[in-house]
Amino acid sequence: MSESNRPKRTILVCCGTGCLANHSLKIYHKLKELITKAGVDVAVETYIKTTGCNGLCEKGPIVKITPDDIAYFKVKESDVEEIFEKTILQGEVINRLLYLDSVTGKRFKSHKENDFYKRQMKIALRNIGEIDPADIFDYIERGGYESLKKALFTMTPESIIEEVVKSGLRGRGGAGFPTGRKWKQCAGYNNYPKYVLCNGDEGDPGAFMDRSIMEGDPHSIIEGMAICAYALGSNTGFAYIRDEYALAVKNMSNAINKAKEAKFLGENILGSGFNFDIQIVRGGGAFVCGESTALMSSIEGKVGEPRAKYIRSVEKGLWGQPTVLNNVETWANIPVIIEKGGEWYSGIGAPKSTGTKVFSLVGKIRNTGLVEVPMGIALRELIFDIGGGITAGRKFKAVQTGGPSGGCIPESLLDLNVDFDSLTKAGSMMGSGGMIVMDERTCMVDVARYYLNFLAEESCGKCLPCREGIKRMLEILNSICAGKGLAGDIELLQEICATVSEASLCALGKSAPNPVVTTIHYFEDEYLAHIRDKRCPAGVCKELTTYYIDPENCKGCGLCLKNCPAGAVSGQPKSWHSIDQKLCIKCGNCIDNCKFHAVKIR
Amino acid sequence: MIITINGRQCEAEHGEFILDVALRNGIQIPTLCHSEALPGLASCRLCIVEVIENNWSKVVASCVYPITSEIEVVTHSEKIKRMRKTLLKLLGARAPQNAYVRKLLAEHEVTPAARFQGDPDENCIMCGLCVSACDKIGAGAISTVYRGIAKKVSTPYDEPSKTCIGCSACAGVCPTGAIKVQESHGKRIIWKKEFELLSCAVCGKPFITPEQIAYLKAKLNQEIDEILCETCKRKAAGERFAQTCADLTASKGLLR
Ligand SMILES: Cc1cc2nc3c(=O)[nH]c(=O)nc-3n(C[C@H](O)[C@H](O)[C@H](O)COP(=O)(O)O)c2cc1C
Ligand code: SF4
Ligand code: SF4
Ligand code: SF4
Ligand code: FES
Repeated sequence: MSESNRPKRTILVCCGTGCLANHSLKIYHKLKELITKAGVDVAVETYIKTTGCNGLCEKGPIVKITPDDIAYFKVKESDVEEIFEKTILQGEVINRLLYLDSVTGKRFKSHKENDFYKRQMKIALRNIGEIDPADIFDYIERGGYESLKKALFTMTPESIIEEVVKSGLRGRGGAGFPTGRKWKQCAGYNNYPKYVLCNGDEGDPGAFMDRSIMEGDPHSIIEGMAICAYALGSNTGFAYIRDEYALAVKNMSNAINKAKEAKFLGENILGSGFNFDIQIVRGGGAFVCGESTALMSSIEGKVGEPRAKYIRSVEKGLWGQPTVLNNVETWANIPVIIEKGGEWYSGIGAPKSTGTKVFSLVGKIRNTGLVEVPMGIALRELIFDIGGGITAGRKFKAVQTGGPSGGCIPESLLDLNVDFDSLTKAGSMMGSGGMIVMDERTCMVDVARYYLNFLAEESCGKCLPCREGIKRMLEILNSICAGKGLAGDIELLQEICATVSEASLCALGKSAPNPVVTTIHYFEDEYLAHIRDKRCPAGVCKELTTYYIDPENCKGCGLCLKNCPAGAVSGQPKSWHSIDQKLCIKCGNCIDNCKFHAVKIR
Repeated sequence: MIITINGRQCEAEHGEFILDVALRNGIQIPTLCHSEALPGLASCRLCIVEVIENNWSKVVASCVYPITSEIEVVTHSEKIKRMRKTLLKLLGARAPQNAYVRKLLAEHEVTPAARFQGDPDENCIMCGLCVSACDKIGAGAISTVYRGIAKKVSTPYDEPSKTCIGCSACAGVCPTGAIKVQESHGKRIIWKKEFELLSCAVCGKPFITPEQIAYLKAKLNQEIDEILCETCKRKAAGERFAQTCADLTASKGLLR
C-alpha cells in the first residue's frame, strides 16, 4: 500500500496465452526496465504485474494503467517507450493505442467504456486481468478467502449448501446440473472419505474460459472447492487439468502452495480444525477425459474411458466414494455466492439459468475473446453488439454453440435468449460456452462433417452406437460433400442420429449427433442442393462448386485475376473478366477478393 | 422388491441387473458383449430396454442397469426394436462378411445397408470380451489401442506379446470368431506368437502350451504331474465318479 491515500499506480500487462503469443512478455520486461531505470530520479509509483487473460485476445497485447483507467490495445514493443514517456511520466493518453470500436469508429480511453466490456458483468472472471495470479495478497486484497472464513466460522454445512441451492447455480461444464442439488445429494451419503474434484480438462476446441481462470485467478477455484469440501466433510480434492495447459498447471500449483502457507488449505485451516488439501492431476490428453466417469478413471490411474453411470458419482464416484465434480467456472462462482448470498445471485440472469456465463466468441466475428454476460442475453446482442458483428461485411449464417457436439443455430433464431434450456430446445446446448460464428461462406454440410470428424477421433470408441454411428455418419457426409450423396441419405443420417443419441454409453455419444441433427433441421435445403442438384451453395465443397463472373457486376478491376493462383481468370482492365473452368482449382480466392460481388457460385 | 417387465411382475433384489432378472423369468433380451464371467463391458448396447420411472422413460443397457426401485421395464417397444435394428445395421456395416454377424442380422430381419463401405476382412466387432478375458487371466497381453473409429484390439505395438501364454482364452470368448488360432504339427500360433504344444498324457493330443502349464502351476501353487486334456480329464473324472458311486453303493450293500 502506498503512503498517500491515492491507490498505487500500476501498469498491468496482460500475459494470458493469447497476449504472450504476441510478445507481451517483451513489453513487460521493457516497461519494467524503463521504470527501474527512471525510478532513480523520477518519482513515479508504478509497478508491473503479469495478469491473466483479459478476454479481448484479438486486440492483444493489452496494457492497462490504473488508477488512470487507461487501456491500450495491440501494443507493440516499439510503443513501450512512448507509453512510458507520455502516459507514465506525463499522464497523457495515446489515442492511437486506445480501443477502436469497429461499429462506431470511436476510441475509448477505458477498457470499461467500450461495448465489449461495458455490456459484460464479471463474476467468474471478476479478478482476471485485475490481479497478479502469483500473488495471493492481490486476491486477498480484493476480498479473497473472506467467503471461506465466513463459511468456516459463521455458517453450518447445511446453510452453505442451502445458499448454493438458493443461488440456482447450474454447472458450467456442460450439462447444467444444479450445483446445490449435487452437493446436497452428496452430503446425504454418510460414507467417508468424500472427494471434491475440479474439472479443468477443457477439451472443446475454441473454448478457453477455464484456462483463463486457472491461469488468471486460481485462488477463486481453490476457495470454492474448500467451501464445498467443508460443507461435505471432505478432506481431499483433486484438480484435473488438461495436459497441454502448462501455465494453468503452474499457476494452480503455485496458488495451492501459497494457500497452504497462508493456512487456507492443509491441516487445521485458519484454526477451524477442518483439513482439506488439493492435488493436481494432469489430464489424459483426450477430449473424452473431461467426461465425469472417464475423468475419475483417469485420476484412479486407469484408462480415461467412460463407464456406465447408472449410480451417480455423488454416491459412488472416485474410488467408489461419494464425490462432487464441478467445472472450473462453477467453482469460481462459489465464493461470490457465499459472500453475497444465493438470493443475490439468483436475481441475475434468467429464471432457470441464473447468474452469468462466460462465452468464448470466435469465428467470423469482429471482436473475438471471452465475454461474461448475464444468462438470458439475446444471441443477437452477444454477436452483434458485444461481438461487433460479422467480419468483412458478410452476412451472418449460423452460430455453433456448445462445443464439438453442440448444434448450429440459424439466423431466424438470433433473438433466442441464451440459457441452458432454450439452447437445448433449439437442438444445441450450452456446453462449456463456446460460440463459433459462421458467415454466408460457410457450408453447413461441411460444418457437420468437420465436427463429426473431430468426434470420430475423440470418441473413446468403446461402445458400438457412438463409434460405428459416427463412422457411418461421417462416411455419408463425406460422400455428400464429394458430390456422391444419394436420395435417402438424409433419412439414413436421421435414423442413425436417433439411435446414437439414446443408445450410446456416455454423453459424448449421446450428443454427437447434434451437429448433424441441427444442420439438417435448419439447413435441409443445403443438404438437398448437395444431394439432388450437386451444388454447394456456399461454394465450399470443391467438387460441387463452379465459380463464374457476372458481367452485370464486374467492373474489370482485375483483383480476381491477380489473386488467382491457377491463372484461370482472364480479361482486359475495365472489361468483363471470365473464368476458365478447366483451369479453375476452386480455391475461392476470386470470390473472396472481389469487392463488387461479381463472382458468383453456380 | 417387485418390478414389472413387459407387464409381468418379477421379483428382484436391490442392485440386481435388469438382464439377470429378465432371463430368470424367461424373458429374452438380445446380448452380444455380455458374459457372466466377464461382466460390465456394456459396449454393444444390443440389450437396451426402456425403463419407465415416475412417468419418465429412458433407454438403458439392461446388462449393467442395477435395480434400485420398483421400475417398469419394456424390452421390445417399437422404439427399442427400431434402435436395435439400427445397431445391427451398424454392426453389419462393420463386419459385413462375418457369419455370426450375418446370422444376428437375419434373426432380427435386418437387411445389410448397401450404402456403406464395409471391410470384407473385418470380423472383430470391438465388444472387448477378449481383452477382459486376458486381463482376468492376468496375462494382460492384449488391449484396445487408439481412440474413436480407429480403436482396435492388439498386442503392444502389434508385435508378439511377451506376456501372452497362448491359452487362447481370448479366442474362446470371442463371439464372432475374430481371433485366429492356428494349430498344426504340435504348434499353436495366436496373435502372431508361436507356441509349442504339449500333448495329453492319455490320448496324445497336443493341446496346451508350456507357458500355460507354468501359469497354472504358479496359480494353483502346486506341481502338475499329469497333463490331461479337457476330454480326458472329464473322462477320468467321470470314471472316478462312477467308481466312487460304485464303491459307495457297494459298501452300503445296496447292489443286488
Ligand atoms: C465428452 C465430454 C467431455 C466433457 N468435457 C468437460 C470439460 O472439459 N470440462 C468440464 O468441466 N466438463 C466437461 N464435461 C462435463 C462433465 O462430465 C461434468 O458434467 C462436469 O464437469 C460437471 O461439472 P459442473 O456441474 O460444474 O458443470 C464433459 C462431458 C462430456 C460428455
Ligand atoms: S459414447 Fe462414445 S465416448 Fe462414450 S463410451 Fe461410447 S464410444 Fe466412448
Ligand atoms: S491367448 Fe494370449 S492374448 Fe489371448 S487371452 Fe491368452 S494370453 Fe491373452
Ligand atoms: S476380437 Fe472378438 S472378443 Fe475381441 S473385441 Fe473383437 S469381437 Fe470382441
Ligand atoms: S449385452 Fe449389454 S451392452 Fe452388450
